[in-house]
Amino acid sequence: MSQSADPDLERHAAVSGGPSDSLLTVRNLQTHFFSREGVVKAVDGVSFDIRPGEILGIAGESGCGKSVTSQSILRILPKNGKIVEGEILFNYGDRTVDLIQEDADGAVLRDIRGKEIAMIFQEPMTAFSPVHTIGDQIIETIRIHQQVSKEEAHEQALEMLRRVGMPSPARNIDQYTFNLSGGMRQRAMVALSLSCRPKLLIADEPTTAVDVTIQAQMLELLRDIQADLGMAIIMITHDLGVIAELTDRVMIMYLGKEVEHGTVEDVFHRPQHPYTRGLLTSIPKMEPGRVEIEPIEGAVPSPYAMPTGCKFHTRCPDYIEGVCEKQDPPLVEVARGHEVSCYLYGGREGLE
Amino acid sequence: MTETSESGVMGDRAIISVRNLVKHFPVETGILRRQVGVVKAVDNVNFDLNEGETLALVGESGCGKTTTSHCIIQAQRPTSGQVFFRLGDDEPMDLTQMEKGELKGARRNIRMIYQDPYSSLNPRMTLLQIIGEPLAIHRMVESQEELRVRVADLLRLVRLDPSTLNRYPHAFSGGQRQRIAIARALSLSPKVVIADEAVSALDVSVQAQILNLLKELQHQLGLTYLFVAHNLAVVKYEADRVAVMYAGKIVEIGETEELYTSPRHPYTEALISAAPNPDPDTKHRARIVLAGEVADPGNLPAGCAFHPRCRYAEDRCRQEAPELVDVGGSEGQSHFSACHFAESLELTGIAGGLQSEKRGNE
Repeated sequence: MSQSADPDLERHAAVSGGPSDSLLTVRNLQTHFFSREGVVKAVDGVSFDIRPGEILGIAGESGCGKSVTSQSILRILPKNGKIVEGEILFNYGDRTVDLIQEDADGAVLRDIRGKEIAMIFQEPMTAFSPVHTIGDQIIETIRIHQQVSKEEAHEQALEMLRRVGMPSPARNIDQYTFNLSGGMRQRAMVALSLSCRPKLLIADEPTTAVDVTIQAQMLELLRDIQADLGMAIIMITHDLGVIAELTDRVMIMYLGKEVEHGTVEDVFHRPQHPYTRGLLTSIPKMEPGRVEIEPIEGAVPSPYAMPTGCKFHTRCPDYIEGVCEKQDPPLVEVARGHEVSCYLYGGREGLE
Repeated sequence: MTETSESGVMGDRAIISVRNLVKHFPVETGILRRQVGVVKAVDNVNFDLNEGETLALVGESGCGKTTTSHCIIQAQRPTSGQVFFRLGDDEPMDLTQMEKGELKGARRNIRMIYQDPYSSLNPRMTLLQIIGEPLAIHRMVESQEELRVRVADLLRLVRLDPSTLNRYPHAFSGGQRQRIAIARALSLSPKVVIADEAVSALDVSVQAQILNLLKELQHQLGLTYLFVAHNLAVVKYEADRVAVMYAGKIVEIGETEELYTSPRHPYTEALISAAPNPDPDTKHRARIVLAGEVADPGNLPAGCAFHPRCRYAEDRCRQEAPELVDVGGSEGQSHFSACHFAESLELTGIAGGLQSEKRGNE
């Protein structure tokens, strides 16, 4: 693996094109939270691209920054969260805008949210107002973003409810969320988020709170809708099973850092980073016979007492003394499109 | 189910036997609290928990697995049925017939671990108080000094630093808190531990630590586990036998490997098929996606409660509720299924699922 003088240039080349053919390009994103106890670097220099129609998974354990990454893209961070560095370039019509440079409440972001980039959440009840019908809320979204009549919007809403497999769209459109069961609410939320045919759907743990048979329905729905409408999806989850079932590429995060990134086949079959390997050996498998599991030692450190150097070195079975705790390891390409941030694979040259 | 030996009410190797367990909750309405219906949370459940084994109760939300465990420990009194508990060679005792005071002895031997170690530990108590409380209540220690020694031993048992016993739960991570909850559960040297979704709230790397710790402790202390969970992969790793519940009933029960590789109930087959597998090669396997949702235990369909979602359902299933009967596992093991067509259906388990995927790729 070659090390050029500028690791960023290397990255742009490695991720097959940069902003030109990608829908969304995130570069060196740093989102920090400020509180009385100190500064939490929730996202600490994350970069990735997503092309039109692609499904990208972002996986990691609690506190890794996967949800904050998605909130940064839509600029819906909690009050004490601030993007301090980086670029989020979105291909918007025929121009590219840096979402970080826009006003979070400004016209551009209000136009993009819901229309170009939509989001679905873990808990569908939070996506809907309980005092308006499902239909009214979908119609409202459509009419905010498109110049259509009420009747046309109603038609579109019906069509979307039908597409997500609601049992009787004509009746469901006049129902409230409390009339619906958990699985139906999830479907309604997908219908709402897709009502303006976004180019990018961000799904933040959409299957975490549901039963396994409903989860299977939801994954099938996302797969079908994606094939049908061709939007790109960012799937954020801690469940590596869901990542393996749905995504094309995956980025593994740990304490705000990207540790490994590649096609889902590369990352699952040829995991390189000790953290990725540990995650994969930690999960019990649905395979015949006795398959042992191997946990990762220790626990995720407190965000206020972040380790120096590689954030994983305190738990790493391959820790190299005098190297890993010094500096953050750079991302190195171990195979085409497969990048790892670990000194086992190089990047030590710059260390004294 | 007929695991009971002829000699008595309990199975030969059973430490707990659940017989015809029923827990119904009335649905009341209006100021007169008129009863308008009944939620059949647990509806005639029978099983034996054998000494030294891990039996898993699995199923989706509302299937009655947690209510069943609460009825065993008498945290909720069952509507009807018996829960027999036997200590060594003593006569079995029916916990459902015992008064609160009498239950103390049994409860010393049946302890629980809960899902969320953030809400199950009192934030105002130190580890010494949390873990020591059961010892004090049951008067198992003579002095404060003895209590400290016992608690320090228990912390060592769950691989925590014994010098932390004066600290409060907030100083510990989720995995460490679950270790504290385990230490508390083990403080009275119980025979049986009921773990209700004990690893569901933990991150995967920590979940694996707790799963292995539970196994080691079982081996070391000869514990019997009732492992209530919804994650099939976790259950496969942890359990010796598995009971699958649907709408308040056990629909299938058998040895873990046998049940996963040759399920005998269509619901089990669908659960196994739906569980996401962390292997991208199985991405395009033919998955069984059940239509609809779990039956409402307040308004169960006639016949087999699973029939509206079952792809093999026939007329008989809509009319007649199937009994849980032994359909015979491999090597003479018992394998119970509550399906009219358990003998004739060719259901697919985990091995089959992977094979058919490979065929599909060619």
